[in-house]
Amino acid sequence: MNSSLPDELRGVMREAIRLEYWNLFWTATIIVAMGLVLGQSQTMKTAWVEDTLGVVPPIMFLIAAKMELKGRRSKKFPFGFERVNGLGFFVAAVALTAVGLLLLYNAVVALAAAEHASVGSIVLFGKDVWLGWLMIAAQLYSLVPPMLIGRKELPLAEKLNDKLLHTDALMNKANWLTGAAGLAGIIGLGLGWWWADSVAAAIISLDVISDGVKALRSSTAELVDGSPRALSSPQVSEDAQGLEDRLLEEFPSATIRLRETGRLIRAEVHGVHPPAEHRHPRQYWPKEESRAWRLAQVSFIPPAGD
Amino acid sequence: MDGNAVVPHPPAPETTPTLARSEWATTKSVAFGMRWIALGAVFLLPACHGLPQDPEDTLENVRTARQFRVGLVAGTPDTLELRRLLGEIERQTGARPRVAGGGSEALLTDLSEGKTDLVLGAFAKDSPWKTKVAFTPPLRSTGSGKHAIEVKAAMQNGENSWIMLVERASRKVSQSARER
Repeated sequence: MNSSLPDELRGVMREAIRLEYWNLFWTATIIVAMGLVLGQSQTMKTAWVEDTLGVVPPIMFLIAAKMELKGRRSKKFPFGFERVNGLGFFVAAVALTAVGLLLLYNAVVALAAAEHASVGSIVLFGKDVWLGWLMIAAQLYSLVPPMLIGRKELPLAEKLNDKLLHTDALMNKANWLTGAAGLAGIIGLGLGWWWADSVAAAIISLDVISDGVKALRSSTAELVDGSPRALSSPQVSEDAQGLEDRLLEEFPSATIRLRETGRLIRAEVHGVHPPAEHRHPRQYWPKEESRAWRLAQVSFIPPAGD
Repeated sequence: MDGNAVVPHPPAPETTPTLARSEWATTKSVAFGMRWIALGAVFLLPACHGLPQDPEDTLENVRTARQFRVGLVAGTPDTLELRRLLGEIERQTGARPRVAGGGSEALLTDLSEGKTDLVLGAFAKDSPWKTKVAFTPPLRSTGSGKHAIEVKAAMQNGENSWIMLVERASRKVSQSARER
């Protein structure tokens, strides 16, 4: 196969693509449900924007996955499209951080201006119903699909070593926190605590910013050829540390430089000659043979003057 | 710059993906989240009885004082719906209206500062006040689109219990309000 995706990942990738289509479908139902009952509540608006933003990572993942699966190496793209995922991760991170900051600003301004959100009533089946009850129902509904999808995404993200999918999984998984903050905000508003709405919105936006900043740190590290980062944090990944140790064990006088291109790792071994026998890069992989596909290249740079 | 010697690769060894590491942790975290939400619901749901309430206690004050302060915007047509609306609020709260006239800007400013409980008037559908006060559905309207002129009531933002009562009363006395 002449695409940049390692062959053993194709089945898992298709499974992840199917899951992301379901993710988009359920997220769309949440966006509609929340959108119908938004009202003036800052909490609801923030939660709705967060849910709407939630489609960015799956869409970026789907675009990147299609390109990785279908895109062929060519003269113009000799490495295929293995870094499209990294680019998607960066775009998703920028969107998350920027919108998170905007939402926080709105919440703080609403709090400082002591804005009192009006939540009126609508007629439902001939009865006057406080819109807050529908907001609470929509918030409760919005909790369920992300939790279930996030739970299914996480193992796939680990198998694929996919940061975009992993970030999405963590965001979905942590959704109960923002959901609980949202519920508390609406109930607080109903109890006459006008500030509860803006405080809940601020808490949700802080969560969005935290997700965004973590993703931004990891994604920029990849774009500037930093060491491979762990899936869920900007720390150097265990895989990279293990590989560096393994290479240093065989080439103790060498300097090892590792970088990440999408889900793949590329290694440069500086200051030593290559071993006499020819080996596939995967044979340098330290442990867990099932993840050896991550090592796409090992280059040797002999000492200067040899 | 050093020369870069890339070793030609023999075929890749066969491998199979293994199971992920964090399924257990995920399940635990979801269960943890569910537990907190359930716990929160147990404590918060009893408090939900009687929602919504007013931050400035408008409805309670109206009931206690047995009167509510109404600002009538100068030039508002004296419609049957407006009189029936005041009557319906009186019936629901046991409080009598105390009506004072004035210009819309002054009355709506008083309303947003809590100096009046209700303002009645003819307002543009796209009124710049629509985010600063809470309007009821229109009791009657003329014209169409966002330039339509609507006869309706305005309440102080956030006084959700009072807002709901006036909205309910508006729907009761006006076909136009019921249709919104």
